[in-house]
Amino acid sequence: MLARLPGRLLQMIPTFILIGVVVFVLIRLLPGNPAAALLGIHATPEALARINAQLGFNRPIWVQFLLFVGRLLHGDLGISVSERIPVTEVIARRLPVTLALVVMAAAFALILALPLAFVAALRQNRASDVALRGVFQVGLSTPVFYIGLLMLGFLGAQLHWFPVGGIGSGFWSGLYHLILPALTLGVGLAAILMRSLRSTVIGVLRAEYVEFARAKGIAPWRVLTGHVLRNSLITTLALFGLNIGTLLGNTVIVENVFAVPGIGGLLVEAIFGRDYPVVQGVTLVLAVMVSIVFLLTDIAESWLDPRLNS
Amino acid sequence: MSGAAPTLSEVPDEEVVPRRRRVKISVPLALGIVITLFFLVCAVAPGLIAPYDPLAFDYNNLQVGPRWTHLLGTDNFGRDVLSRIIWAAQVDIQIALFCTVPSLIIGTVIGALVGYYGGITDAIFGRLVDLVITFPFMVLVIAIVAVLGPGLNNVYIAVTAVSWVFYARLVRSEVMVLRQADFAAAGRVMGYSDMRIIFRHLLPNAMIAVVVYWMTDMALDILLGSSLGYLGLGAQPPTAEWGVLVSDGKNFMDTAWWMSVFPGMAIVLCGTGLSLLGDGVADLLAVKR
Repeated sequence: MLARLPGRLLQMIPTFILIGVVVFVLIRLLPGNPAAALLGIHATPEALARINAQLGFNRPIWVQFLLFVGRLLHGDLGISVSERIPVTEVIARRLPVTLALVVMAAAFALILALPLAFVAALRQNRASDVALRGVFQVGLSTPVFYIGLLMLGFLGAQLHWFPVGGIGSGFWSGLYHLILPALTLGVGLAAILMRSLRSTVIGVLRAEYVEFARAKGIAPWRVLTGHVLRNSLITTLALFGLNIGTLLGNTVIVENVFAVPGIGGLLVEAIFGRDYPVVQGVTLVLAVMVSIVFLLTDIAESWLDPRLNS
Repeated sequence: MSGAAPTLSEVPDEEVVPRRRRVKISVPLALGIVITLFFLVCAVAPGLIAPYDPLAFDYNNLQVGPRWTHLLGTDNFGRDVLSRIIWAAQVDIQIALFCTVPSLIIGTVIGALVGYYGGITDAIFGRLVDLVITFPFMVLVIAIVAVLGPGLNNVYIAVTAVSWVFYARLVRSEVMVLRQADFAAAGRVMGYSDMRIIFRHLLPNAMIAVVVYWMTDMALDILLGSSLGYLGLGAQPPTAEWGVLVSDGKNFMDTAWWMSVFPGMAIVLCGTGLSLLGDGVADLLAVKR
């Protein structure tokens, strides 16, 4: 596993360069002069000239790109138009909330999808399997903002079990506030995971080593937890890595529904505030997060399944 | 059976001409067809089905709950929720089509050319695919819409800019296999042009997989379009679109829940119908995915 790591890290370099290119091109899609767009209503001829000189918008496009990359390497994402502080600071303040939300959502998704996939696989084509598949089929077609709104309306506003938005103050209050948004994201992700997990578990249940374990007289539940579960976890992990992009995309929406002050909510606020440096920064951070998770799941997979290394 | 003709048991297996296979429509597929047709009818002729004018204010019936006169209740202007949902089908079906058809056409053409010629174009295309899968689809689309400005036309542009790559990837892998086939070699021997081989002989064989993917893609784009509508980045009010309707009602969840809950159900139902249709057709034609 460790032998493959340097190569895998090297592969990240072109990915990061490509991410940089897209984020760079994005802001140039703005109609008109990017400096005018960055300044918005504050644009005066002097300010325009200053921004043009500062960010090099009047230089050739490839020089602009190199300048952009140079600033990126120094951790400089520009200045937020609305808050007048560096974009990195704005993002750093909001990022922990999103990270906590994503981790909780992943945990909820696993807690939901894994046992249910086992039930469905063990009772293949019986009533409980068909019912579960039906529910998750519908879940696949349910937009997360709708799941969120229903939870908010029912568990929050009607039953008062959970707060209806925001983040509270303090660590435990924060976690409590994140339960509903995380559950919303988790249900959405579980619906995606469940489908492939069920067929994976069915495949593992038919494997020769499982039959052998049973033939040896190992207790059925130990076969399930020791052999079937462990081998299904590898696929779960791979699936999780593949869907991290969807999860982060949904975070943008769910943070908006529950007024969670993370970077997803920040993205939408920045769009309506025409705060393009922030839009650019958040897009970059989200893409980098996805590629890091790709890398981590890759490493974890080859650690769990040594066959992948040969 | 005359003496000269071989009886069925004497004919070697491979010479038995199979009868036309009976198409067996499964229950999920039938459901998918019915639901999809229902929404198509709503989209084509909303005026025939909707019981009320979707824009008519009725100040005597503000936010009344579901009842016989208004099956799904009315909104804060007294407009009939059911009628608004039916009229909104027009916009959401339009989203499903306009987000997918341009991607399908562009992706198919580029995928076919890349798959047939390979070489340097294929290498460039490979990098492009890497790039698109690194970005969360939703985030990339939102970012493009952010720059171009909210609105449905920009949603179509943003989605097409990203999602043609998925079609191209699919067609490319199909064409790469098909170009090795005997009928492609036969075409070359006959002196057909590359274009004729690609578009007349290879592509028709690749299209089943594309059509199956297209149906599931439409379901996903309805979810995406309504999500953007909910955020205020997609269809702009007063356009009735399911996501916008849910958003309109979200502040009345405790007093008039039907304003949000029923339009949301329309999204779920339409999405489920389209994916059942896609899955069912894939099973029927034994398309590997």
